[in-house]
Amino acid sequence: MPNEPKASSDPGASDLIKPPRFMGLRIDRQQVIRAFFSVSAAVTIVTLFLIMWTLVTEGPFRLQKKLGFLPVPTLKGGFLDTYRWELGVYRKAGLEFCDHVKKPLTEHETIFSRLKRAVGAELNTVSKVSRDRRDAAILAKTHVEERAALQREALQEALDKTGPATPPEKIEELRKAVREATARKVAAEVLPPLFTDAEKQKLQEDLRGLQPDQEDFPPFIQELMAESAKQDGLAREKFAAFVTAVDEFEVAADPIIEVHDAMKELALATKELAVQQHMSEDAVAQLLAAAAIAKTPEEKAAFEKDAAQTDTTAIDFKGRIEPLLAKRADYEKLIPAYLATVKKVMADMPSKPLTGEARTLLAKARKDLPEHIKTVEASLHHMSGWKWDKPIPLMQSLSAFLFGGDWITNSSWQDFYGMVPLLTGSLVISLTALLIALPFSIAAAIYVNQFATLREQEIIKPLIEFIQAIPSVVLGFIGISVVGDLIKSTSDVAWLQWIPGFPVAERLNMFNAGCLLALMAIPTMFSLAEDAINNVPRAFSEASEALGATKIQTVFKVIVPAATSGILAAMLLGLGRIIGETMVVLLVAGNRIAIPDFSDGIGTVFQPAHTLTGIIAQELGEVSRGSPHWQALFMVGIVLFAISLFINWASRLVVRKFQLPKI
Amino acid sequence: MPATLEKPAAINGSKPPTHLTVKIDGVDFAYGARQVLFDVTMDIAAREITAFIGPSGCGKSTLLRCINRINDLIENAAITKGRITLGGVDINHRDLDVIALRRKVGMVFQKYNPFPRSIFENVAYGLEVAGEKDKKRITEVVEESLRAATLWDEVKDRLHESALGLSGGQQQRLCIARTLSVKPEVVLMDEPCAALDPIATARIEELIVQLKKQYTIVIVTHNMEQAVRVSDRTAFFYLGKLMEFNDTMKLFTAPEKPETERYLSGRMG
Repeated sequence: MPNEPKASSDPGASDLIKPPRFMGLRIDRQQVIRAFFSVSAAVTIVTLFLIMWTLVTEGPFRLQKKLGFLPVPTLKGGFLDTYRWELGVYRKAGLEFCDHVKKPLTEHETIFSRLKRAVGAELNTVSKVSRDRRDAAILAKTHVEERAALQREALQEALDKTGPATPPEKIEELRKAVREATARKVAAEVLPPLFTDAEKQKLQEDLRGLQPDQEDFPPFIQELMAESAKQDGLAREKFAAFVTAVDEFEVAADPIIEVHDAMKELALATKELAVQQHMSEDAVAQLLAAAAIAKTPEEKAAFEKDAAQTDTTAIDFKGRIEPLLAKRADYEKLIPAYLATVKKVMADMPSKPLTGEARTLLAKARKDLPEHIKTVEASLHHMSGWKWDKPIPLMQSLSAFLFGGDWITNSSWQDFYGMVPLLTGSLVISLTALLIALPFSIAAAIYVNQFATLREQEIIKPLIEFIQAIPSVVLGFIGISVVGDLIKSTSDVAWLQWIPGFPVAERLNMFNAGCLLALMAIPTMFSLAEDAINNVPRAFSEASEALGATKIQTVFKVIVPAATSGILAAMLLGLGRIIGETMVVLLVAGNRIAIPDFSDGIGTVFQPAHTLTGIIAQELGEVSRGSPHWQALFMVGIVLFAISLFINWASRLVVRKFQLPKI
Repeated sequence: MPATLEKPAAINGSKPPTHLTVKIDGVDFAYGARQVLFDVTMDIAAREITAFIGPSGCGKSTLLRCINRINDLIENAAITKGRITLGGVDINHRDLDVIALRRKVGMVFQKYNPFPRSIFENVAYGLEVAGEKDKKRITEVVEESLRAATLWDEVKDRLHESALGLSGGQQQRLCIARTLSVKPEVVLMDEPCAALDPIATARIEELIVQLKKQYTIVIVTHNMEQAVRVSDRTAFFYLGKLMEFNDTMKLFTAPEKPETERYLSGRMG
């Protein structure tokens, strides 16, 4: 065939036919280069799919070999399946049943601690002064004794010596030294202004006379102690009804706690058995698998024998649950007495508390107590309706993950993998960061693009973009050392108390993390917004100014509206950056795994929280591979992946929707 | 077209006849170190159409953009010598209100550039930025301006649709309406038909000739037939200098300078 054209063609055109040649092969060079680029693109796409595949097979699915080699993901052994098994044990062993009793007990604890603080605040109105005086005197005594310790110890030693007893003149000498040292220290001790001058002298007199072998407190201090005890008694008398009611409230829960502890013991024993049985089943499966590929018949026989010997008898959940269910009657018997006490507390709470602290605490208690009564009554109801053998569908383990309010791991009671606390933490932090970053980055973009001189642009742009170069772990330091303290000290300023959430309890909180994430997002959002504004055709601003609009009018009526799509996309991509950030939130957000208490309104942001990213970084290194906990973390990873994917998709949509005409 | 002829007359009542003249007196202009205009002197008569012609880069657009100081938007660009006056006032005076100047001297750009808003909002924009709040007055002015730009009949049923849905010629007439809405004395047009097809061009030219009755018009054009068709007087620029400025008929039939003749005959450009 190659000879054919030669035969018929003109010799002048013979160079038109030229077979492709590359490194001695009959391949077109252009094709090779093209293939290289297409392979590069393909590799990145394949990697993306591999990442998704890993997330899926480590999370909700587990790989199983079909036909001996084909890996097929199945739900069996995946997160949903194992979590369902765990929830099943939680129910069948009766842990769930116990938790119905536990819920009112937890509430009781919170309410009691509030009431106790309220009682303390009320008692203080009477007894605080005398107690402070007593404490100050005792503190002064301790100080003086500590500072004169050297001489006191020497004397003590001499007094204790029995072999030949220390000669009296020696003891006298030591006593003198103690007296002198004590007097010096007493002179140096500054007494608080709780005492009058006469009292101060009395106290100093007392203190000067301190000797190590003196058993009793000096007379003036004794006087103060007696006074304090008296005032205390008076205070208790004054608020007698309230004090007794709270004391009774505390004790009222004790029999219930006892019943609950007994129930817990039963349930945990069953759970322990169930877990062991499950492990033995796994062991048997492994032994049989090993037997299947054993090389010699002896080995195979040994494996099979081991498997046969392993005890995998099913647990008699029904038999074991009976005694637990019987406890319900005990619990029910205790309820009327308990509820009576609760009602008594409600009645005996002072209607007009003397202190502000007590007022807020009691207001809360007044709101909580009726709820508490309802919980107690509902618990009985729940317990009678509870069935140990009600099956748990697969969807329930999914919804327990997606909508579960508890993320509890490594617990001695029951592990729960509910991502709501993490998700709310992530969302609140991200929204805070976005709200902080948005005005700064967009205002900076508008300024740089529209108002700054060329020289200013040259300075500002690289500086803002440089923020991106700060490693996030370094920002974490700053959050812990600077921003945290700054928030704390600002929140203690008296005239700022109108801000919700002030004073803040925790230095590390969602607002702190939000501030730092905002700083991280500003460069991204600034650059993209600046691009968007820069892309608005010059013709628009010229037309606007030619119509007599001022620069500000042009910016806000023409340029910013025309750049809306880009600005929105900048915002979304900034959000993507924020929500995926790990290090800063891990260091700064406070890592408390709980749904934030939204009753604080805006002040919610000053609570600590944990995040989707933070939990993976914190826990993945410590869990055993393939355990339900491990799988749960991969599920969290999938959720994060989905959120990022959604944000990217939304930003593309926004850009397309608001596209500008080309001028 | 009797209908379109009487429409511009409608706004005659609300606007006193123009008599402000633009005087350009020995103007040099530079973009940074690069000088583009050299000692240009000319008077632009009121209520006439003056055309600027010349090869690309000769400075005719720059001069036009000096008249409403839209060149201020470009950094380092400034008049270095001479002055431009509008009705005797130096427009580069230190205390001059640029906003007021631009209301008196409107501008239509080469590429039609309506804002990405509705037709109504585009025309109302000039009033909006001037602080006009009276809805009724705005509606009136929008209608007047659209009629003056002979666009009213085509868009009156879709005033609140996006301006970007109009054809090119319509968009350019919308831009003219937008310029007229602030009632300028002088209208500057920077190659207003450069991006349009011949039919749209014809309509715009017809409109320009009508507008002459109320406005002083300065038009930059590359199209010599257009200059002949619409303008009363024509200025020929070459390499930043004003070579010749005369009645259009005279300039085209009997040019005085050899450069003008060479340009008109197409041997330079």
